[in-house]
Amino acid sequence: MTRASLVLAVLAVLAVAAPPPVRAQDSQFGIRGLGTPGRWESVRARSTGGAFAPFDPFSPLLEASIADVRRVTAGVTGGTSWRTVDFGSQSGSLRASRFPAFVIAGPISRRLTVAGGFSTYLDKSFGITTRDTIDIRGNPEPVTDEVTSDGAVTDLRIALAARVHTNLALGFALHGLTGSTRVTAVRRFDDSTTYRTSNARDEIAYHGLGGSASALFDLNADLRLAAWARSDTHLRADIRGRTVTDDDLPFSFGGGVRWRPGTEAVVAGAVAWRYWAGAGINAHDTFNWSIGTELGSLSSPFRFGVRGGQVAFGPGPKAPTEFGISAGLAKQFSGGRGRLDFGLERLERKGGTGVTERVWTFLLGLTVRP
Amino acid sequence: MTRRLTRLALLLALGACSEQATAPGVCPEYCPGGQIAVVDTIFTDMIERDSAFSGYLEASQGRALAVADVPGMVDSRAIFRLNGAVPPRVTNRPAPDTTTVPITVDSARLDLNIIRRDTATKNLWIKVYRMPLDLDSTTTFGQLVPAFTDSIVDSVNVSMLLAGPKIYDTVTLRIWGDTIRTDSAGHVLQVSRVDSSLILHFDFDTTQARYVAADSGTIAYGVRVSADTLASIGLGSSEVDRSANVKWFYTYPDTSAAPVQGTAQRAATFDSFVFTPPPAPADSNLAVGGAPAARSLLRVAIPPILRDSADVVRATLILVPVGPVPGAVGDSFTVIAQPVNTDLGAKSPLSLNTTFYGFKTIHLNVADTVRMELTDLIRAWALDTTATTALMLLQSAEASTYTQIRFYSTRTPAFRPTLHVTYVRRYAFGTP
Repeated sequence: MTRASLVLAVLAVLAVAAPPPVRAQDSQFGIRGLGTPGRWESVRARSTGGAFAPFDPFSPLLEASIADVRRVTAGVTGGTSWRTVDFGSQSGSLRASRFPAFVIAGPISRRLTVAGGFSTYLDKSFGITTRDTIDIRGNPEPVTDEVTSDGAVTDLRIALAARVHTNLALGFALHGLTGSTRVTAVRRFDDSTTYRTSNARDEIAYHGLGGSASALFDLNADLRLAAWARSDTHLRADIRGRTVTDDDLPFSFGGGVRWRPGTEAVVAGAVAWRYWAGAGINAHDTFNWSIGTELGSLSSPFRFGVRGGQVAFGPGPKAPTEFGISAGLAKQFSGGRGRLDFGLERLERKGGTGVTERVWTFLLGLTVRP
Repeated sequence: MTRRLTRLALLLALGACSEQATAPGVCPEYCPGGQIAVVDTIFTDMIERDSAFSGYLEASQGRALAVADVPGMVDSRAIFRLNGAVPPRVTNRPAPDTTTVPITVDSARLDLNIIRRDTATKNLWIKVYRMPLDLDSTTTFGQLVPAFTDSIVDSVNVSMLLAGPKIYDTVTLRIWGDTIRTDSAGHVLQVSRVDSSLILHFDFDTTQARYVAADSGTIAYGVRVSADTLASIGLGSSEVDRSANVKWFYTYPDTSAAPVQGTAQRAATFDSFVFTPPPAPADSNLAVGGAPAARSLLRVAIPPILRDSADVVRATLILVPVGPVPGAVGDSFTVIAQPVNTDLGAKSPLSLNTTFYGFKTIHLNVADTVRMELTDLIRAWALDTTATTALMLLQSAEASTYTQIRFYSTRTPAFRPTLHVTYVRRYAFGTP
């Protein structure tokens, strides 16, 4: 790859990432809840359904994996999604560009590696419009309401990983949860000469803390196990210095297994449990699974994966479900100092009230090792 | 391969630069927990204090002269004095003769501008009376009763003129410049080119328009109307350059030729109108309009709920009239609510920002409650804690009509001015 191509590729990634600030794929299911939990996955991991996330140092899921990063390396993930929501009686099409993860890592000694970066913890971007007719002064007045929220809660992570043994790596991380949303609520009256448009806007700031620990254990040269646990405290929402909500955040844990049956084939599977049910209304505990594979040479592999499980927020007593398939490929350049990852994901979420959400997501990632 | 991938990435990146984040909401399951709640309240104590003041403009300072005759209700008459300054002698001709010769007035033409009339009026007569020359702003209706009784100069049936054919020929065009309507007595009526007002021309002989050399031609007239119905018009005044004017036609001798013809056009130096019954004396109610013009100042206290936690979407000022305004059926006038820049009582300077004005047309002989929309003004006051929250009620145009409306004030609790406000409560952001 020429220098010009490299510059173009970097620009492409930045263009995907630039429009909004740090945000992830959103969902209508998160509107009546804390938001839509982000996926702590790089493009590589996402292309395998998330199965490679525990083993991928540029997926901000698990810290122990960064112990294998022996030179300073940075990875960024961007994506654009096209989403259709079918409520049965009506539907909508949405489009969004997101920049959900960035990781930079490098060794500080022979055994220790440190990493930092950010990822989306909760996406809180949405917009809804509703039509209604209300009675004012004895007359029916048709109105259009528009409520929008633009922003996210970001997980700022600083992680430390150590290879304590040839077969064992451990990792620890502190997570600072911070972010804000710009929110508006607009009511427009059809009779705009008599009634003025009501326009309320505010900014909500979010704060929280968390900690996580993880381990990677190599049973042999081809089989690696991963385990992780994470606990987040509370998410406090402040408007102009006044706390409006303080919600519990979940304890999460999970694990994975990766098997290398051949020199150009890797298979992985992962599971995760997250106890979201205490996080306010419409919250549910979730279990998610994924299986994926990476085939081909390290310089230009092909990836495929499937995922399934539950969505943390949604109306009704049962958690909405999701199922997705994904695929992708990558290309190394500059002698392995850089890598472009491409991915395509198809996801379907179903809620108990007959709502179906279908999402196509194009993913673009760049990893650079100067 | 790499180049293709790079191009594909660029293409997709460019395509992804726009967002569509808003979808139809299915509530309440897939909508935020907050509600956009509308509250509709009549604030009975938002108008906390009020005052009425009179004497802003006299009838002689109005933009129109009200002329009406509604038996049992009102009799209003226009009066005006036309400038003299027509010298009784002119320099003899040919030059350089410095001696002077007297002029001989042979006729005059009086022009009146009818700027407001009811098109439904039938058999509208306009009658011109000779008035004493000492007219001024203190002249009363009673003082002019004798003149309006025995000094009629001319009269014309305007309805008949309007019903007559339009005349447009080369002679008419040369003299009048446009279409005219005329009657057998020589009255000429023209419709203004720029609006729908009427211009009425009277041809007076020397008995109708008496040129008195000692007064340099100063004359004064009064105008009354009568009609089968709706006898009410407005004549233009000098304040809007539409006053009555007179054109004198005279001759003077020329020692070397035939007598020379001359003209002198003069406008009104004073115009006004007098009416009966006169305005009622000031009382505890809020007076608006009439002549002299009255205004009422309302001081508004914005409640904390509108300042802190609401968005006003509609605000209506409710005023209860003490009674109907008497006058010609079908007549109306406009009351304006104009915010003041600072509250200095009667001399409060008025804001010129018309965005915040409230308007209401008042129909005569009707005592309906007056509702005036003040949404933009109340919204602005709710947002700006430094603004002077007071407004002046006044008539448009002031001192141009005999009509005056009176509203109950805060001193009459049952009918005091109130504000009907519709507002949206502050949205509960942050709650899922």
